[in-house]
Amino acid sequence: MASSEVSFSRKITEDLSNVEFDTSEDVEVIPTFDSMNLKDELLRGIYTYGFEKPSAIQQRSILPIVKGRDVIAQAQSGTGKTATFSISILQSLDTTLRETQVLILSPTRELATQIQKVILALGDYMNVQCHACIGGTNLGEDIRKLDYGQHVVSGTPGRVFDMIRRRVLRTRSIKMLVLDEADEMLNKGFKEQIYDVYRYLPPATQVVLISATLPHEILEMTSKFMTDPIRILVKRDELTLEGIKQFFVAVEREEWKFDTLCDLYDTLTITQAVIFCNTKRKVDWLTQKMQEANFTVSSMHGDMPQKERDNIMKEFRSGQSRVLITTDVWARGIDVQQVSLVINYDLPNNRELYIHRIGRSGRFGRKGVAINFVKSDDIRILRDIEQYYSTQIDEMPMNVADLF
Amino acid sequence: MNEHSKKKLTFNKSTLFSLKAELLKKQEEVLEKKNLPKHRLENYKPVKVLDKNKHESNNPKTLKSKLKAIDTDELEAQRKSKSALEKKAELYEHLTDNAGHSELAARFLVDFKEKKQQGITKPDVELTEVQLVEKEEKEDGDWIEFTDCLGRTRKCLKSDLDFYKKRDKELMKRMPGFEEDESDMTEKKAEHPFLVQKTKDYLQSLRQKWEEKEKELLAKDEDIHYQDILFDEARMHGVGYYAFSTDESERKKQIEQLMKEREETLKAQKQAEELRKKRDELVAARVAAAKARQRMRLGLPPEDPEDKQNEFRKCLIEFLNEKKTEADNKANEEEKRLKEEREKERQKERDAYIREWDLGKEGVDDKATKFRVMTQEEYVEKQRAKRINEFAPLEASTSRRSKFSFDTQGSKVDTQTNIKECDSTKKKTWADVRQEVRPLTPPPPEISDLNQKGLYFSSKKSENSVKYKNFVKSGDPIPIQNELSEEEDNVRRHDKRHIECHSEIAPPPTYDYYGPVPKTSKYPKPFESDIRESFAQGTKSLETKSTGIHLPKHYDFTFD
Repeated sequence: MASSEVSFSRKITEDLSNVEFDTSEDVEVIPTFDSMNLKDELLRGIYTYGFEKPSAIQQRSILPIVKGRDVIAQAQSGTGKTATFSISILQSLDTTLRETQVLILSPTRELATQIQKVILALGDYMNVQCHACIGGTNLGEDIRKLDYGQHVVSGTPGRVFDMIRRRVLRTRSIKMLVLDEADEMLNKGFKEQIYDVYRYLPPATQVVLISATLPHEILEMTSKFMTDPIRILVKRDELTLEGIKQFFVAVEREEWKFDTLCDLYDTLTITQAVIFCNTKRKVDWLTQKMQEANFTVSSMHGDMPQKERDNIMKEFRSGQSRVLITTDVWARGIDVQQVSLVINYDLPNNRELYIHRIGRSGRFGRKGVAINFVKSDDIRILRDIEQYYSTQIDEMPMNVADLF
Repeated sequence: MNEHSKKKLTFNKSTLFSLKAELLKKQEEVLEKKNLPKHRLENYKPVKVLDKNKHESNNPKTLKSKLKAIDTDELEAQRKSKSALEKKAELYEHLTDNAGHSELAARFLVDFKEKKQQGITKPDVELTEVQLVEKEEKEDGDWIEFTDCLGRTRKCLKSDLDFYKKRDKELMKRMPGFEEDESDMTEKKAEHPFLVQKTKDYLQSLRQKWEEKEKELLAKDEDIHYQDILFDEARMHGVGYYAFSTDESERKKQIEQLMKEREETLKAQKQAEELRKKRDELVAARVAAAKARQRMRLGLPPEDPEDKQNEFRKCLIEFLNEKKTEADNKANEEEKRLKEEREKERQKERDAYIREWDLGKEGVDDKATKFRVMTQEEYVEKQRAKRINEFAPLEASTSRRSKFSFDTQGSKVDTQTNIKECDSTKKKTWADVRQEVRPLTPPPPEISDLNQKGLYFSSKKSENSVKYKNFVKSGDPIPIQNELSEEEDNVRRHDKRHIECHSEIAPPPTYDYYGPVPKTSKYPKPFESDIRESFAQGTKSLETKSTGIHLPKHYDFTFD
């Protein structure tokens, strides 16, 4: 309690680097969707989408968001964070008012589209209109769709800001701003854009921050745009999921990674797999090499035209392609239920990304496996990650395929 | 096993031998059976045809009957499986045709090369009986027939076949024009990524489908729903999931239907519940009647006195429980109320809070000026306004109408002498001019950094935000009037009647609290007369209570 009050009532300039942020006190836990006082249509949508019992984060966060409080919600990957804010949004919407009432910002176009899908799925019985306002698409169409009247807009900061400036996206009725993958959104690359958008919103708009990782420096700055937020946080030693088994394969030289991957290919295709490289060029290189060796793989990264990205996503989501080689554009938030294996061809550049990458598998209680390819000098980094999250990363066993 | 296969299988040699032996045995068996008359192809064929006919004749019937029953989902699944099978068949054909030359073949465990070699004889066999006989003869003599590049049929020993074929190829190369060769090459090239090509084709068709769907979506000037953007996603839904139509009117109908059915279900549930209740009641009544009859037969009075006692006990327990829950409720309510109050307080704070990123927005700066830190005096004044009069210091001591004023020692001072003193010392303080000057007080100065001291600061300088009640600009002194002069005094009083004039020197700020208690008080002491009366009333009420009917001692709980 003490910590939560500090950021609220002291001067903003105060140094918070030594303050430890904890989950707020008196956060109510509501064990069922039925007892959340949700609209009937919404409840129907929730159950038909496949949710039966709310996850820990859903039990705690939905009510405060519906009440209109600013909320900072953290939960492990694949535990239903998107659904958490989607349900809250749908509950607090007035569908008779054909104006944008909620704005959701996320770091990638694919994620924004996915959120739109979830909102429409959960609100299927509510007649909710949600638009994905993302870059790389036709401006005219975007304008037309927004003019048609959308209750919720899920987008990426650049295009959304553009639409606001053109006065196509009217902010007058916006009462809630959601930042998905909040730590990424408030990082150096995005923060200015978020600020730009925020400046157009009505003062004291409700703000909701959601992410699996919320580093301290992000929590420190929240008082600039949030009022006495309710925090629901996870300690970092509880951030990795039991259901995701983590392994490493030690390789002496970079070239051996490719052979290892080829050896693993049969394992990859048991369900679906995602392979992460650190650069777009490496993705292209690896894809080409795999295809030359007669392995069927698809690839995706930020330099591809949006149309192609969309198609790759659809193919992967429909299960037509089973192995996807990609960059960190895929690291956060993307939810494909069938993915059960993640391979870090290169180790990620920071600890947070590791959590997000391996979180592409093991969705909503399913099992998952993460395999890290490490050169001898990378092992140190892996050990650091292991220690930081108090988790276990063993050498890969021979029967890894039995783990799925 | 396939030589091309990259897979390295581990096994021991004995298994290999036994496998080989098994293979040979099987091959022999096959040969033997082949030679049996009933396995001759000409005998077999008609049966196959018949079978096929039967199948075909059956098909429309089942299909028709199925069409009625099967919903679209199953049809879709059927279509999918059929197309998948077709694709498989195509692939298989391709692989057998190319007989292992295809690079793809390396990926399958079946050795198509071997299969083809074995199979070469079979199509020959199928031709005619005459040829078959010839063939057998050939087989006996190990002769084999083949067609060369010029279309000539040639005969050679089986063992020499490879040699002749090689020669034939060389001949072909020497032939004028390499068209055939080239076409062969291109064929090979096209064949190379056959599977990749196939999947690519399929994906292409899928993509086209999606693109069309997307175009449709963009053109659609209606609401967009989940089904519109699902794009064949492989996702598990809940048991209650229902894929609505993408057609708006159809969708509406479906939803309506769903709601109707839901209502019906609810109604049916309710009815069943009511029926059950009624039945239970009936049964209970019957049981009671039976019991009563039994008692009658035994000659007992119709009602059990024990029952009564039980009832009393039950009543009591109920009563006690009620009381307890009442007390609990009260406690809960109290807690809730407190919580709400706290929440309200916090909400107020939240409402007053100004986010850094909101500064400069419309309406925010007003809010920023609305909240500021009060000066001490303002705060005192505010608190005074809240004060219940009874708790105020006696009016005599603070009244502006008071004829007396007091010096710092608390002794009474004559106003006139006071003024004299004031005049003689001519020391000016804020307090000196307090009453007199108030209406003339110029607007207070801007004290901008006072804002900064508060919780919430703004980059904008707010004017008039802070008022010092008694502040006088230092550069603009107000002369002290000579109040000793009667004339002037009169004039002044005449002019400014509304200004109440009394002591020029204000008592010290702590005076209200520590000043002397005036000797004469106009007001009677509160409560003085009441005490005795209230005592009497209290005892009276106690008496009446004690005479009232009580529960026996052991029932007398207190719930605190």
